[in-house]
Amino acid sequence: MKDAKASAGPVIEFRSVAKAFGGKPVLKDLSLAVGRGEVMFIIGTSGVGKSVTIKHLIGLLRVDAGEIWFDGQRIDQLDERGFYPVRRRVGMVFQNATLFDSMTLTENVALPLRKLGGLRMKAALEQARVRLGEVHLTEFADRYPAELSDGMRKRAAIARTLATDPEVVLFDEPTTGLDPVSARRIDRLIRELADHRGATAIVVSHDLTSIFTIADRIAFVYQGGIRALGTPAELQASPDEVVQQFIRGKSSGPMETPGF
Amino acid sequence: MSDRPGILASLTDRITRVGEGAIGTVRAAFDLVVLFLGTLGGLFRRAGRPRGAVVEQMHIIGNRSVVFVAVTLGFLGMVMVYQTCLQFNKVTGDFSQVGVQFIRLIVSDFAPTLTGMMLATRVGAGIAAEIGSMKVTEQIDALRMSGVLPVDYLIVPRFMASVVMTVALTVLGGAIMWLAGGLTAQYSFGVNPNIFYDLSLVTGVHVGLGLVKSLSYGMAIPVVAGFCGLRAKGSSEGVGWATTAAVIGASFSVIVLDFIWSILGFMIFGGSL
Ligand SMILES: Nc1ncnc2c1ncn2[C@@H]1O[C@H](COP(=O)(O)OP(=O)(O)O)[C@@H](O)[C@H]1O
Ligand SMILES: [Mg+2]
Repeated sequence: MKDAKASAGPVIEFRSVAKAFGGKPVLKDLSLAVGRGEVMFIIGTSGVGKSVTIKHLIGLLRVDAGEIWFDGQRIDQLDERGFYPVRRRVGMVFQNATLFDSMTLTENVALPLRKLGGLRMKAALEQARVRLGEVHLTEFADRYPAELSDGMRKRAAIARTLATDPEVVLFDEPTTGLDPVSARRIDRLIRELADHRGATAIVVSHDLTSIFTIADRIAFVYQGGIRALGTPAELQASPDEVVQQFIRGKSSGPMETPGF
Repeated sequence: MSDRPGILASLTDRITRVGEGAIGTVRAAFDLVVLFLGTLGGLFRRAGRPRGAVVEQMHIIGNRSVVFVAVTLGFLGMVMVYQTCLQFNKVTGDFSQVGVQFIRLIVSDFAPTLTGMMLATRVGAGIAAEIGSMKVTEQIDALRMSGVLPVDYLIVPRFMASVVMTVALTVLGGAIMWLAGGLTAQYSFGVNPNIFYDLSLVTGVHVGLGLVKSLSYGMAIPVVAGFCGLRAKGSSEGVGWATTAAVIGASFSVIVLDFIWSILGFMIFGGSL
């Protein structure tokens, strides 16, 4: 189905990206290429810059130095309007299951269908109901986010992001704070996205179960760059003490964790 | 001799920090102007705002402030007239000028500025808290990801509602102030209402000045408050900071605008004010 030529190169590429906030460097020299249809996990301690990294892909943050490429196009210098077409193709599920408080679930999902997909209100609302049905939220379609559990909100947020059928989906800690059953359902959903729809997924996560069950490759972020990159098996066999400490969840070791 | 470089270093460090602070302030002022211009531009992008949002905001900003503004301006009118009459009583005992001067001042200054101050606190805090919590929970980012311009979607409806409602509440607040002042004069000092409620000194210039002030406060409050909300960082603590900054910033801009318009009015119309 996919164009052979297009799938040859990486769909997303960070080239030596640097980003600081108020003089405090977060990313120093981060390079990473993500292949089409891949499920790439980005792991690392809290505050290391995982969310910052992926927000660059959709123009929510701007690089200080380096380049970002999406599907053969350099995107790090686009302006807000220039990012519209990118945001149509790259969706993001935010960390806090960020739904719009003032809208029902249906209205939440309908918003990007109208604004990005160009649907009219009525069509968008109909389509939104279908999308909510896919994540088993039909009976809650007219409720407001505040009335729902975390797991439901997360599913609704995923439905909203997937409503416009993005080619690349960024998940920021999709299973954090969820019960194990809900978490594994979300894992399955991410895997199906890649396997059945050919989408690319970039998942920021601390969830070791998710990491070792659904990741194609894992990028370990440490001190502003990628410290290790490879398949789950490769990471498990890594001789790097820092990597070992993280994936075994040990409190003591060579890893430097600022603030502790 | 040995700690010389240390002193020098700490001095340059301090200068750098002052410099950075100044640059930060200039930048913030620049960003605020950009937001204001963006909001004006957003007025012409009807598709950018949610349906019914302006009416909803008019209700939140206007209807819910009616009692607050009415009570405050009513009491202030009573106190001002009472104090004025008290002073006149000591000197001449002639109250004939109190009412006619009072309404002149209400129209050109008291009504718009006191209403503006009240709305700066109530509306400013409301807008900053709401937009600030949307910011820290990434709802603003999610809006951008949904193909929505946050300025058009959030600021513009509040801006439109605020302009309309500030003028409306100014008229209401001024009327109540006048009425409350008149009743105070009548019942505390026996001033004849026919003499108190005298509009003969109010000219088009006073009305125009009052209207310009009121319109400018109505524009400044949502933009300043929205600006503070959009800059909220971190978590709920950041929202608290943004809300405080919004109340201070919005009140301050009302005072500064009052000052500017009053000076301009005086320079242009001079004695006729
Ligand atoms: N918009 C911002 N302004 C200032 N600092 C930020 C901003 N976003 C993130 N940071 C800082 O960057 C660092 C990395 O944040 P983040 O990417 O969210 O971490 P995580 O790896 O847990 O997702 C943190 O220290 C955070 O405080
Ligand atoms: Mg994060």
